[in-house]
Amino acid sequence: MKHILIVDDAATVRLYERAIFEDAGYIVREASNGLEALESALAACAEGQHPFDLYVVDVNMPQMDGYSFLRTLRQHDIPQAPAIMVSTEAQECDRRKAFEAGANLYIVKPARPVPLLRNVKLMLGETQ
Amino acid sequence: MTTAFSPLLLQFMQESRDGLQEIATRLLALERQPADPELMESLFRVVHTLKGNCGLFEFPEMFRVLHAAEDLMSAVRDGQVAYDREMADLLLEAMDFVAHQFDDIELAGQPDPAQAVSCAELVARLRQRCGMQLAEGGGQDGQQATRHAAEEAARSYMTEALARVPPSLRMAWADATRAGETLLWVQYTPEPECFFKGEDPLRLAVQMPGVLWRRVLPGSAWPAVGELDAYRANLVFQAVATADRSVLDEHFRYVPGQFWITDLPTAAIDVKDQTRTNDALMIVQTQNDALWSLEGSPWVPGHLKAAVTTIANCMRAIGRLEVLPALEACAEQALAQSSVAPVVAWIERHAQVQAMAEVSPNADLQEDIPAAEITAPVAAAAATAAAAVTTVTADADPPVNFGRRAEDSNGARVLKVEQEKVDRLMNLIGEMVVARNGLPYLASRAENQYGERELGRDIRAQHAVINRIVEEMQDAIMQVRMMPVSFVFQRFPRLVRDIARRLGKEVQLQLEGETTEADKNVIEALADPLVHLVRNALDHGMEMPEERRAAGKPATGKLIMSARQEADCVVIEIADDGRGIDPAVIRGKAYARGLVDEATLERMSDREAVNLVFLPGFSTAEAVTDLSGRGVGMDAVRTAIERLHGSVHLESQAGQGTRLQLSLPLSMAVTNVMIVQSGDVQYGLPMEAVVETVRVPAADVHRIKQHNAAVLRGRIVPLLELNSQLGLDTPQRCNEHDEWATLILRVHGQYLGLVIDDFREVVEVILKPLSGVLAGLTAYAGSALLGDGSVLMVLNPKELLK
Repeated sequence: MKHILIVDDAATVRLYERAIFEDAGYIVREASNGLEALESALAACAEGQHPFDLYVVDVNMPQMDGYSFLRTLRQHDIPQAPAIMVSTEAQECDRRKAFEAGANLYIVKPARPVPLLRNVKLMLGETQ
Repeated sequence: MTTAFSPLLLQFMQESRDGLQEIATRLLALERQPADPELMESLFRVVHTLKGNCGLFEFPEMFRVLHAAEDLMSAVRDGQVAYDREMADLLLEAMDFVAHQFDDIELAGQPDPAQAVSCAELVARLRQRCGMQLAEGGGQDGQQATRHAAEEAARSYMTEALARVPPSLRMAWADATRAGETLLWVQYTPEPECFFKGEDPLRLAVQMPGVLWRRVLPGSAWPAVGELDAYRANLVFQAVATADRSVLDEHFRYVPGQFWITDLPTAAIDVKDQTRTNDALMIVQTQNDALWSLEGSPWVPGHLKAAVTTIANCMRAIGRLEVLPALEACAEQALAQSSVAPVVAWIERHAQVQAMAEVSPNADLQEDIPAAEITAPVAAAAATAAAAVTTVTADADPPVNFGRRAEDSNGARVLKVEQEKVDRLMNLIGEMVVARNGLPYLASRAENQYGERELGRDIRAQHAVINRIVEEMQDAIMQVRMMPVSFVFQRFPRLVRDIARRLGKEVQLQLEGETTEADKNVIEALADPLVHLVRNALDHGMEMPEERRAAGKPATGKLIMSARQEADCVVIEIADDGRGIDPAVIRGKAYARGLVDEATLERMSDREAVNLVFLPGFSTAEAVTDLSGRGVGMDAVRTAIERLHGSVHLESQAGQGTRLQLSLPLSMAVTNVMIVQSGDVQYGLPMEAVVETVRVPAADVHRIKQHNAAVLRGRIVPLLELNSQLGLDTPQRCNEHDEWATLILRVHGQYLGLVIDDFREVVEVILKPLSGVLAGLTAYAGSALLGDGSVLMVLNPKELLK
């Protein structure tokens, strides 16, 4: 069973994405900003816990934004999982900024359920 | 086959011999720089061309050996097999085999049938070498490894090809496979040289049974029009077929290894799966962008791990499990180097699907190809495919560049001419020189005998014009006959290497001045003496590595062969840094063999003593080895060089090395001779032997024992009379002032005075050696025709004054 961490400050978005992933049979946890997400991610890597298999991360959040979260996460010596950055900005410079921070895929909001789920499945290595 | 060669075969043999020489040179160069990919590539090209040409003729053994050698080189080039000395030996042996076959063909008109055995053995060894190393390198059976690589390439082709099949068709196929029918994917890649083997790839592809769909595309991007080689197949045929697998195997049985048949998995053709695959590969490629923007930042390791996990998951998701081990290896390498490059390279190699269709310069051509896609029954299929292929070939038609490819023709433009033709031209010019010399006689006859002074002057004027042209012609033909010394030098790297290895010595050969030119005859005649000298240097001169180390010298000995031009001579030097020649040993040997008497020995300087090795019957080798000491002593070398009107000098410093200097005339075609009068006959004497001409007053001639001598420039010079040397009774005549006309000659480093009746002019003649019964008269170097039609006998002072 794969674990996904949704990081977004908008509760509606979290609810929407959670519905998509839980319907597909994934275990979902949420964080409302980067700092919270970082704590969850590091805690999940502790002994006896199941580390996250995928992060779905928003860009603009209070306290710590998505870029800083990924940048910090990637500097830790932990099992590194793929990260999808979901953003309202469709410009090339935003895309590059996301990759520089450590994202593996960049999706422009609103993320439509079918393609989002397909990409998630691929990045989790599901054969169907 | 008859012994009369077709011009094609003749040209093939000529070119191939050059090719073999080039191969040998490059193999040796490669031994020094095994990592040079350019060298390897050029070597491969030459072997490849040779093999291709060989396929035009019925020489199966040669072809098989070359083919095996080419495969081995190809494995080396692709980094599957490491290049080493043993392999160089093997490849050189293969080339020797081919050269041997050429000899047989030249002699008997066909290769010796007995060679088939050694051919089979040689091929087996080449193949074994190829397979063995592959097994070592890949940790698995070599053939399997190559096969695996080929299959992976074909699989990526398949994915790309299927993306072009209309979705409706693919859906139908997917339904059929789900219903239990087996569809086969066939890919046929004809060998580039298949045309030379009488194969017809198009026919084979068109006649394939049970075809549902097919297309043809270029194997690699078409080269520029000028470089296109129309004789190389550059096509890939792809097809989806329903036929039985065994039927297809049977269909392609004559082109083993060139086709690939596999079951078409439902996943590969299902449209839905296709989108998935494309998406996955998109994500993989995205990692490329992500990683590039990252190079150098502190979170590289973390991001690398995330990217690799992403790629691995995507590949796993689309069932490409076979690529995972390689990816892991790349990832480890990347982490170790803290660089994204290895992973980026991996992505570029493995996720090319999208890029290929976009980047291909022949996108249009490929777009046209669906015309060749066949869904109709098989009978109609053939016709359509043929039509489609015609479009392809029509596109490839105009740029036919017959013969060799651009990269094959390295070097200057040369015209190859048989030597006989040049020799004939030279003889004609020689006769022209003689005919020209007749004009002054004609002029003086016109003046003196007929009193036609005007006519005489006109003839002289005309003579001047013809003279100029003839001299230029002579010069031009000399230039044609000039060859670079490299012609003989080029065999030495191989020779030195082989001899040194056999003797267990380490020798580095250095060639200098290879571009120095000399007459073809001189160059050709040099080969044997040089081989002998080099063998001597390696066998006797060079010490074993331990001995060298003990003497405080580098273990690797140095042998320098150099050529340079000095005035109208070419000087060739062979210098080694070996143990040198011990004069004391030479003295002892010479005395023991009774070659010199004690008194002479005592008078001799060390330098002179060392030169005793040139005496006939002298050999310093304690034991006769298989290399030198075959009874061909240094005297044979000296004789050979002197026959070329050259000279040999030897210098040696015990413990420091030996230096041999050969000095040879640049050209032997024209000889300067001085005409002398003795008795009533005129003789010629080569100018190279003449030091000066003097008239010795009879009073200055002293009688020492039985010989006459005179003191000239502080040196006692023995005087010999030409008539008595020739066994004539006529006494020599002196002039009215009682002076003897004397030629001072230098023979074997000693000065001699040759007394004659009188001097005449110096002329340029074409010296022809005496033939037939006269050939035994060693006192004469040859004969020459003079302008007035008379024959001049040219003396050979070395023999005459023995």
